[in-house]
Amino acid sequence: MTRINLMLLLAVVASALYLVSIQYESRRLFTELDKAQAEERRLSSDLERLKVEKRAQATSARVEKLAREKLQMRLVLPAITTYVGYTEPAPAGQGVSGSVQALPQVSAAAGARP
Amino acid sequence: MSRSVRYTSSPLLASRTPVWRSKFVVAAIALAFGGLAARAAYIQVFANDFFQRQGEVRFARTLELPAYRGRILDRNGLILASSVPAPSIWAIPDDVDTDGEKPKLQKLAKLLDMPYADLAKKHDEDKTYVWVKRQVDADTAKEIATLNIKGIYQRKEYKRQYPEGEAAAHVVGFTNVEDNGQEGIELLYNKRLLGKPGMRHVIKDRLGRAVEDVGEIVPPVDGQDLQLSIDSKVQFFAYQKLKEAVQTQRAQAGSVVVLDAVSGEVLALANYPSYVPDKRQNLSGAQTRNRALTDTFEPGSVMKPFTIGLALESGRVKPGTVIDTAPGSFTITGVTIHDSHAHGALTVEQVIQVSSNVGTAKIAMGMPASEMWETFSQAGFGQKPQIEFPGAVSGRLRPANKWRPIEQATVSYGYGLSASLFQMVRSYTVFSHDGQIIPATLMKSTEPAVGVRVFSPGTAAEVRKMLQMAAGPGGTGPKAQTQGYSVGGKSGTAYKQQGKGYGTDGNRKYRSWFVGMAPIDKPRLIVGVMLDEPSAGQYFGGAVAAPVFSDTVQQTLRLLNVQPDMAVHPNIVASAVEESF
Repeated sequence: MTRINLMLLLAVVASALYLVSIQYESRRLFTELDKAQAEERRLSSDLERLKVEKRAQATSARVEKLAREKLQMRLVLPAITTYVGYTEPAPAGQGVSGSVQALPQVSAAAGARP
Repeated sequence: MSRSVRYTSSPLLASRTPVWRSKFVVAAIALAFGGLAARAAYIQVFANDFFQRQGEVRFARTLELPAYRGRILDRNGLILASSVPAPSIWAIPDDVDTDGEKPKLQKLAKLLDMPYADLAKKHDEDKTYVWVKRQVDADTAKEIATLNIKGIYQRKEYKRQYPEGEAAAHVVGFTNVEDNGQEGIELLYNKRLLGKPGMRHVIKDRLGRAVEDVGEIVPPVDGQDLQLSIDSKVQFFAYQKLKEAVQTQRAQAGSVVVLDAVSGEVLALANYPSYVPDKRQNLSGAQTRNRALTDTFEPGSVMKPFTIGLALESGRVKPGTVIDTAPGSFTITGVTIHDSHAHGALTVEQVIQVSSNVGTAKIAMGMPASEMWETFSQAGFGQKPQIEFPGAVSGRLRPANKWRPIEQATVSYGYGLSASLFQMVRSYTVFSHDGQIIPATLMKSTEPAVGVRVFSPGTAAEVRKMLQMAAGPGGTGPKAQTQGYSVGGKSGTAYKQQGKGYGTDGNRKYRSWFVGMAPIDKPRLIVGVMLDEPSAGQYFGGAVAAPVFSDTVQQTLRLLNVQPDMAVHPNIVASAVEESF
């Protein structure tokens, strides 16, 4: 009888110690999870910040300024553009079957209006 | 001489004590224990709230889970407004050691870009909490954190960033320091943009780490992203051209509206002067005003196509009908209206082309006022602004039964009623959309616009042809022409009221505008441009506003991949005919 009681006592003590360690472990893991989540939030807001920064570096105003001043570029005008139109392919056997056809070339060379 | 007494033989013990005494002591002790037990039961079982609460205060914490404010995007998904973390710096003045840590504080002042004296003053205040600076950028905040000054803390906050800056400022608007919308879309859709912060209860350990969740977690709901119909490239370009025009014409202000004539989406809406939404110190009312929506003026010649359209629709005239406008003036009930020059006999088409007040008035006098009123109202004049926007106005159109005969004549060519530039631009969808007026929207829409019929498609096409003539050689706005694209539109010029009159010659102030569409056979765009008080010598809408229209149309159609519908001629600008106003 005493032996069984002793065994049970040991079992209780062991399970209690196990419980303590599990509880400790679970709290540790929870803390880590919490930290990881905070990190995730921080990173996602950082990502958003960087996206905005990237956008701010690529606004039309800045692109235009750099293109004009640094790269000496100018605006595209229809006078210096060849437009390529698409027409339905003609039924087989009818001469030119090319589906891409240049429009009547626009007249006037570059620099119609600066 | 002392007499000792042995304890066991003490006479006191020899005397018999009464039994009740011991019983009394036992009873008293039992009662005390009973009291304690009752108290313990009371505290632990019945009235445990107070202690539970006190316990929780020591280990349980409620954490707020922040929700992000939604972003505002343009039609291609580019960011127009977004919230980024911007920590605020605060201090407990009593804890800051101004003498011992002076070098560090000086560094802090430098990082925050404020004089050291100001910083020191903040720490002299008799408060327990002061803001040192709100919403500094993330990099500065990191550097401040590394300084590690006692009594200086950071609080996580968010700040709105507007990459497009001043170009889109009036449409997008801005938020205040608490992240609440104050102007524009930010104000209009504040509820949708605002998130709902979440909440969680946790138990914290000795080191302040959360170790356990208690109860339910309320997850944060982020604000919705809004996608506008604005195209940031068109917006930028329109703004830039407008800005250049306002500066070269030495005007007070200007507005431009670009509307997609097929879907009714607003591609660009810009005003100058504008402001940078991130830096709003010293902001003036002139800068924040969204003139395209809030300023009304008499539409002038822009109204003529509606009068002519009604006359064509009802079969009263044909495009070729001849109207005699000689001698360039026309008297109704004692009041005379004038053209800028006498034009003689004009066809209806030419009335629009040279913008003859007399011709338009003569046609209008043959129509009932109620029909005119109805057509103008259907086109949105004097009506509640169809677009919801803070500050948008309805303009004014008096009921037809109150019109005097002279009023009917002046209304026919755009005087005696008022409208905003935005209303005028939208009203022109009547002509661009085959006679139907379509709703304008600032939100990107995927569904085709559903219109309300005002004119038949035939009338709309006839009026479009007249608008093209008005913007062509011999018209009032040839400077509106573009390379490769056919355009049509009406210019307008008006004296601005000064005090009781319209100023005297040489001292007049003008407002000039142009509203038109392109390509004319199948319009894709309607563009309206308005300049307020151009004072560099020129003031006719056809000379001042039409070039902005031309540049904007040219670039926008190219961006929209619209193929030119005309052969390109190098020299397209013909001399203008002076318009009437």
